[in-house]
Amino acid sequence: MTNDELNRRVSAARDEVEARGETFYPGASRVHLAAFPPRERWNDWVELDSKAWPKRVEKRFMLVPTTCFNCESACGLLAYVDRDTLQVRKFEGNPEHPGSRGRNCAKGPATINQITDPDRILYPLKRAGARGEGKWEQVSWDEALDDIAGRIRACLKEERHEQVMYHVGRPGEDGYTTRMLAAWGVDGHNSHTNVCSSGARAGHHWWMGMDRPSPDHANANVILLVSSHLETGHYFNPHAQRIIEGKKNGAKLIVLDTRLSNTATHADHWLSPYPGSEPAIFLAVANWMIQEGRYDREFVRRWWNWKDYMEVVEGEENASFERFEEVLAGLYDTYTFDFAAAESGIDASTLEQVAELISTAGTSLSTYNWRSAGSGNLGGWQVARTMMLLNALLGSIATEGGTFPNSWNKFTPKPPRLPHQHPTRWNDVLWPDEYPLALMEMSFLMPQLMKDQDAFVDVYFTRVYNPVWTNPDGFSWIEMLTDETRIGQHIAMTPTWNETAYFADYVLPMGHSSERHDLTSYEQYDGQWIGFRQPVLRAARERLGEEISDTRDVNPGEVWEENEFWIELTWRVDPDGSLGIRQFFESIEKPGEKMTVDEYYGWIFENSVPGLPHAAAAEGVTPLEYMRRYGAFEVAHKVGQVHEQVVPDSELDDVRVDESGRVYTRTPVPPSPRASGGTKIDPDPDGRRRVGVRVDGEILKGWPTPTGKLEFWSRTLHEWGWPELATPTYVKSHVHRQNLDSDQMPLLTTFRVPVQIHTRSANAKWLDEIAHTNPLWIHSEDASRIGIAKTGELVRVETEIGHFVLKAWITEGIRPGVVACSHHMGRWKPEGHRGQRIGMMTVALDQNGSEWGLTRKEGGGPFESSDPDTLRVWWTDVGVHQNLTHPVHPDPISGMHCWHQAVRIRLAEPGDTFGDVWVDTAKSRAVYEKWLEMTRSASKYSPDGTRRPWWMLRPVRPERAAYALAEPESVGA
Amino acid sequence: MRWPNLSLSVPDAPPAPIHALRSLAVFAEAPSDEHTRIGAALGFDVVPSPAQYSDIFLFQLYPYGSVYLGPEGMMGGIARERIAGFWHAVGLTPPPEPDHLTGLLGLYASLVERAGRPDEAAGSLGGVEAVGGSEDAESVLADQAARALLDEHLAPWVFHWLDRVKELTSGTYATWASLLRDVLDDAYRGAATHSSDLQHLRDAPPLPDPREDGTAEFIKGLLAPVRSGFILTRADLGEIARALDLGLRAGERRYALEHLLAQDPERTLAALAAEARRQADLHEARASWLGESALFFAARARTTAVLCDELREMEPS
Repeated sequence: MTNDELNRRVSAARDEVEARGETFYPGASRVHLAAFPPRERWNDWVELDSKAWPKRVEKRFMLVPTTCFNCESACGLLAYVDRDTLQVRKFEGNPEHPGSRGRNCAKGPATINQITDPDRILYPLKRAGARGEGKWEQVSWDEALDDIAGRIRACLKEERHEQVMYHVGRPGEDGYTTRMLAAWGVDGHNSHTNVCSSGARAGHHWWMGMDRPSPDHANANVILLVSSHLETGHYFNPHAQRIIEGKKNGAKLIVLDTRLSNTATHADHWLSPYPGSEPAIFLAVANWMIQEGRYDREFVRRWWNWKDYMEVVEGEENASFERFEEVLAGLYDTYTFDFAAAESGIDASTLEQVAELISTAGTSLSTYNWRSAGSGNLGGWQVARTMMLLNALLGSIATEGGTFPNSWNKFTPKPPRLPHQHPTRWNDVLWPDEYPLALMEMSFLMPQLMKDQDAFVDVYFTRVYNPVWTNPDGFSWIEMLTDETRIGQHIAMTPTWNETAYFADYVLPMGHSSERHDLTSYEQYDGQWIGFRQPVLRAARERLGEEISDTRDVNPGEVWEENEFWIELTWRVDPDGSLGIRQFFESIEKPGEKMTVDEYYGWIFENSVPGLPHAAAAEGVTPLEYMRRYGAFEVAHKVGQVHEQVVPDSELDDVRVDESGRVYTRTPVPPSPRASGGTKIDPDPDGRRRVGVRVDGEILKGWPTPTGKLEFWSRTLHEWGWPELATPTYVKSHVHRQNLDSDQMPLLTTFRVPVQIHTRSANAKWLDEIAHTNPLWIHSEDASRIGIAKTGELVRVETEIGHFVLKAWITEGIRPGVVACSHHMGRWKPEGHRGQRIGMMTVALDQNGSEWGLTRKEGGGPFESSDPDTLRVWWTDVGVHQNLTHPVHPDPISGMHCWHQAVRIRLAEPGDTFGDVWVDTAKSRAVYEKWLEMTRSASKYSPDGTRRPWWMLRPVRPERAAYALAEPESVGA
Repeated sequence: MRWPNLSLSVPDAPPAPIHALRSLAVFAEAPSDEHTRIGAALGFDVVPSPAQYSDIFLFQLYPYGSVYLGPEGMMGGIARERIAGFWHAVGLTPPPEPDHLTGLLGLYASLVERAGRPDEAAGSLGGVEAVGGSEDAESVLADQAARALLDEHLAPWVFHWLDRVKELTSGTYATWASLLRDVLDDAYRGAATHSSDLQHLRDAPPLPDPREDGTAEFIKGLLAPVRSGFILTRADLGEIARALDLGLRAGERRYALEHLLAQDPERTLAALAAEARRQADLHEARASWLGESALFFAARARTTAVLCDELREMEPS
């Protein structure tokens, strides 16, 4: 046999095998640099048992895919289920997942710690003493369900819909819960987003009508980050691998971070700006590009809403594009490199070099901001808005290597039995009058708003959410949660103990990533995918022929998944269907019976995911079986520029084009497998829906903004009281130098550590061993000035409302004059309470009127448990809980809590001990009222008598009538 | 739920022996289920057992370039670092064992594949910018990288190593070694030019002389092919022991050789000289087409033989 014949023969065998979707070469092999078991062998995979070494003992596994539930990335995991014991032995990456592509950060494999945590909550608990007293009794799910359902039913029957609230931290799913709340008819969806990402979301939203960016880092020429995405952050793992790909392909990386993060160490240009000055830098770059003519004129002419700006702001109807360019050049000419240098503390020459580099990116500039400066500063939403200005100047939006809007790179399929009704009542605790433009609910102001409005919430769910620890001003949360005239019943739904659960009436044990069903899709590259989270032991046992209808049968203890819980709860809220709710949770196949989770997802995969039924049929399985087998499916690849797509003639019936070029049609919206959502654009006066915009004579799909264009200028901001901020501009932060006393410094708190995830990972021993404390980053010059002799010395950090005590870490890795402390760490449980022992300290809480103190009584350390590793815990320092000392700082427009703090750093005083926290909630109330003065309320500024612009995003949208502002009471009434 | 089954048909094959190379590469790894179908495609009647794999690859002829190109004669060291550097140079993260034969053949196949499909090669060669950035230039770069890998990190050791595999085995592994040698032979002879001044060989220190450096260093040098010029396996030592009726101590090769020399230094040195000359002949037979590296190893092996003879003559009879 010749070599050619040999090659032909092998090639034929390979093609034949791969045509069946199988892997020809060994998966975990050097030959393809692959490290994964081939997928056709996931049902019976053999590995040597590492614990039996040096003996060669074979272990047989079923590899069952699921989705990580730690951060928002939703990376794919493969659970290795031991075929002998039917226990999960480990988690590794799922190579079939299009977003994470088999890779994981440390948090994914550490899921095994979370599901085997000896301190996890395994059974429903009901408080046995006063709320917050720490006494619990185990109850049955039936008892809990009946009690909670009875209260909800009473609220709905008595028209007290606003007294049911669901407050979510990590959603980890798309659409299930919002569908449920819509079915209940309650405007009760309260998210954590205003302590997280609203700042950056708002900046993108005002441009595109979509609130998240989806950068194509892998194909970029220049990557511009206001984040630390090589180590942490939203979509860290999917983005980091693509940033590295981009760098390997020659992309230049620019990182703006006041700290020397691990990401900054990989940058070609690391800029360490004074906090809050980032927009000044971007505007200086934009100004230079405009003055030098280094922008894409055609893109700006075609896609910016410059005509509206010229007409309304400049008073020039029918202005030419050239005239707009003249105005544009004047608009930003004060933003020179010298100005930006003065604001940021970075040399003008360095800024010019960066501007030069950005201007060479062409349509391949990928940008990203999520938290960081966008969530730290008053006006932080302008960070993303001014950064997107650079994309908009270069035309690098929805281009290869550019930045896409999230909705084009995300696929949320339509579920069955979608409720048709909307809540009829507006919930002022979520969107109060003062914050009509807040991107998301004003959730972190809840204690203050409940007081202001004398409100009462009868049934309050906190779901994988821990406001006492996560939110600013946590003591005010404790005051609210323990006040039964404010909160009738608090149900904490959580896989693990947290600081908020201590103040609950019920603690309901929920599943981790391998113990629950969810469907997710996130924008991580120019494509669309869905990922399926599933209870892996259920899937494994079903492969062995068992029928499992209740996930509690396979989960540890009585841990339940939420979907089955919500179905059961809803049936108990409306047992006879008389409230009109039960219908949405009834089986389609078996009317009158409960819809099962299999039916719910099976219906979605059959009917709402293009391509999936075909892919499943090719393997001879149902779509649900396909997703249970592989865990993910790519719906689309290379979506491209949706705004440039021509609207088909079939959608152009009785068309009307208005004076701004917006195109309206009588053709109904074509059926779509996607769930409805996004902005709501009003029809024309004759009822035609908007279908696109006319650009250079063509009718194109455009953008989901009021103008259908990219909104350089926002009529909404202009008309709702903020004309001075309607174009991308620079707002001086509350921690701007001019707002600080001479002895104050900005404290940065928004950064994560790579291996922890907010409030959810203290129960992972591997992660805790790697990172368990949060010292104060302080530059050596500042340390010397203050008299801090060495790293580890105790310092007191004084905020506006109190102080906390922690250890200093003297470093050159931060800008002088700025200090930083990660918001992770500092987890605690009150003395005498059950709780997490690994990763949590034990504290004493003391209250004297509005004054609160938290004192560490016992740190971490070894303890005896069912896991022998807990005796090997070698650290006692689990950090300090700084967020308690932060007052609320609500941005008057985006609604984002502006996390940066103005602080004074002093040496610890006699009597101070590590971990001490002291706060006066009366002072925090005063700070809230001070920030409230900056707002421009709907009742005063609304141009149309509504509470909020109809077009803007809302997770659960009330009906249109609920948007109307209440009639003011007449004088003397 | 139904799990897929296997079947076979024969479509057209691509021109380069990429699949043959990859499939043959798999057989330098521990046998797994996939070996059966890959072996069938290669025409093997029988798939080697784990015991056969262990004997040849774990006890006799370790499939790692660093063993044959490094001055220590062991896995790792500077030779492995150089090979890891090559992975970096072509824009890839080196695997944990960058010099394993399977990985090197897989990498070579990938580079050949890239050279044939420039659209997939674009931008992937370690940030090396092709002139003009054209697809043709990317293809040329991939082709150059493939030839450099073959010339510098495979050819100097793999042909001799495969010949030794053929000597020490029979059955499937012998067939495998012949097939792989043929495929690589074709690839090597097909290239118009070859690298000279091979760094692994240029920097290789000579075999230590025990009269100056001590016996321990001499023995270590004998077991480092780049210094001694020949591959001395456990089987070779066993054969010497049997032929001379000496006891073979159980242990690593160095320990066994040390005790052979202690038992009967004269005849052991004579046997070593003979084996060195025999392998020098094998190297020289390849010199006409393999060139510099074959001559290098042949010269080293003959020097080793001469030194062994000198030492033997010094020993009291």
